[in-house]
Amino acid sequence: MKKLIALLLTGTMVFSMTACGSKDEPATAPAEEQSGETAETESGAAEDAASGDAAAADITLWTYPVGSFGDAATVDGFVAAFNEKYPDIHVTVEYLDYTSGDDQVTAAIEAGTTPDIVLEGPERLVSNWGAKGKMVSLEDLWDEEALADISATSEAVVAACKAPDGNYYEYPFVMTTHTMAINYELFEAADALQYINEDRTWTTENFEKALQALVDYGQTNTGVVYCGGQGGDQGTRALAMNLYSAQFTNAEHTEWTMNSEAGVKGLQQLKDWADAGLLAFDAGIQAADELQLFANGTLAMTFCWNASNQAQYASQTAFTPYAVAFPSDDAVPELAGGIWGFGIFDNGDADKIAAAKTFIEFICDDEVQGLESVKATGFFPVRSSFGNPYEGTEDEERMATFGSFQQWLGDYYNVTLGWAEQRTEWWNLLQRVEQTSDVQAEADLYAETCNAATAAASN
Amino acid sequence: MGNSLKRNRVLVWRETRAAYLFLLPALIFFLGFVIVPMFLCLFYSFFNYTMNDFSFVGLQNYVEMFGDPIFQKALVNTVIIVVVAVPTVTVFSLWVASAIYKMNAFSRAFYRCVFYLPVVTGTVAVSVVWKWMFNKYTGLFNYVLNGIGVIDEQINWLGDERTALACIILILFTTSIGQPIVLYVAALGNVDTTLVEASEVDGATKLQTFWKIKWPSIMPTTLYILIITTINSFQCYALIQLLTSGGPNHATDTIMYYIYYQAFKLNRYGYGNAMGIFLAVVIAIFSLIQFKVTNNGKND
Repeated sequence: MKKLIALLLTGTMVFSMTACGSKDEPATAPAEEQSGETAETESGAAEDAASGDAAAADITLWTYPVGSFGDAATVDGFVAAFNEKYPDIHVTVEYLDYTSGDDQVTAAIEAGTTPDIVLEGPERLVSNWGAKGKMVSLEDLWDEEALADISATSEAVVAACKAPDGNYYEYPFVMTTHTMAINYELFEAADALQYINEDRTWTTENFEKALQALVDYGQTNTGVVYCGGQGGDQGTRALAMNLYSAQFTNAEHTEWTMNSEAGVKGLQQLKDWADAGLLAFDAGIQAADELQLFANGTLAMTFCWNASNQAQYASQTAFTPYAVAFPSDDAVPELAGGIWGFGIFDNGDADKIAAAKTFIEFICDDEVQGLESVKATGFFPVRSSFGNPYEGTEDEERMATFGSFQQWLGDYYNVTLGWAEQRTEWWNLLQRVEQTSDVQAEADLYAETCNAATAAASN
Repeated sequence: MGNSLKRNRVLVWRETRAAYLFLLPALIFFLGFVIVPMFLCLFYSFFNYTMNDFSFVGLQNYVEMFGDPIFQKALVNTVIIVVVAVPTVTVFSLWVASAIYKMNAFSRAFYRCVFYLPVVTGTVAVSVVWKWMFNKYTGLFNYVLNGIGVIDEQINWLGDERTALACIILILFTTSIGQPIVLYVAALGNVDTTLVEASEVDGATKLQTFWKIKWPSIMPTTLYILIITTINSFQCYALIQLLTSGGPNHATDTIMYYIYYQAFKLNRYGYGNAMGIFLAVVIAIFSLIQFKVTNNGKND
């Protein structure tokens, strides 16, 4: 009897485990077979979205922490607003972080469990997953009106969302420029504010004078070229390339060019400052650590700043964080941009793709929700018709300051193929620059490795 | 005769059937999550398997691996970690266990808790604390060493090629000694006291008693500790990922971290699998050597 019970229990255990592990196969045909149907459904979805009569579907959204899009309460509110208009589309949200988010997406792609929608920037949506054929073309969202509206703000945004194959894999809604920031009171005490122009730009020469003034004042921890990883690397890239107006890639985004004369001169300048004790390289920290050191007053400046950081760190600092452009030889900086929007993974389910597009249009373009979405990020709308969403709010002054940097928005070279390899090579290059006596050779090695990766990705 | 044999087999099957069925769930998991992935890993290592390509390349991944200077650097770093960490963890654990196993129950439990705490604390939490202690600007180590006059300028512990790997080994050491200490305390407590007393009556010194009586008695435990510490050291990944990302200048790259980088950052799954197979073979060789050196863990 005991044996019989044991057998029954074991059988139940095995069965229940098998049952738990099973997964209902979606009742959809393979993607290839559905291509015609998908096209029809996609165009139909756009009409549905316009009429508010979208097909019912359960969709998932994975969001990187772009401003408050990493905050469940905020996003839940947006989903609730969406469901008031489209009650038949059920949206499940999962939150990624920049430490492990890419790994989660990679694992999901290989396991065939990607979400329907993902929120991030062109370097992931377009030049990585899009270029590898994992994303759905968003051509129908980019209608004439959207194209004109976004182009009026920046042609660079449009170009960044479009892959070399001619397809749009991202539908953007916000953008910003990345800057650096200084400790205003410390600069004032060291009499270094005189080196910053009224429009918050400065020359390389004056930047050096400011560093010297800080050191003379007794502030030995001026700034740190953080290179312990890829986090916040847009700051160190912008710093190195602006010093002598170098270009990070060629105009066609097919070649990495920081081994140019101007690029090497900038890297050499950083090394010279470090050797002279005016600045430091630190392979032990990344941008998040550097920001913390800036916020607690250890460092006099940070190279990783933007409107969102200003809002986030405002309450933590006992001084005034003062945003400034990166120094350049001609005081005309070229700032790195950030563009964020939505992409749709090609899961082969036409209904879900249509529902995902409906959701994206609502979050990005809806008269009321569109503005709320922009404000939640703390960045600027890509649509010129949205005007200034911060007008009349407590954020108006802060955002006006950061808005003034938009005029120096540079080329969005992040869409160059081989971007992932380049990111790793960049902080490794900085680590080597600190040690080497031949900056040109190290920059050549960096460019060679990155160009090889780009060539491999292009094939 | 034949019927009797058949009847015996039926009886044996009846006796063992329930046992096998109880083992079945674990076996399914073992097959699904260990055996099958192992063979898949070997299979994929012969392919250029990326996010958008899957083509047979034979031994190309292995050829590339041995010519990859970063892999070579990672291999050297990994071997250094193993060669330093395994003996120090084993010797230190044995020393601590020898000192505490004779204590009263309360003291013994206290020390076991102290040494086991880093093991049960999450790796992320442990790494955050160590990262703070190693911080160049606000870290505890620089603060103390500056305070007592040992150093006169801040040391970038994790950002300097000369110190980064040593820091990783130190953290690995603190998180690895907990289990060996607990195991050694249990093993030493189980050594036959009559043998120890007999040797003492015969005039053996404490050192002789240890080497001739206790050490052979705890040999199976030592073998187990050597093997798990070796495997843990070879698989050092989380600390690297959380603290140094393999830097500075690949000074802390390990094979495990490089596998992760190739597979998850560059989506070169085939190449990552080839390195995984290589690592498995190296671990197997090290384990085999340990089996031989410790006489298969036999205490005779």
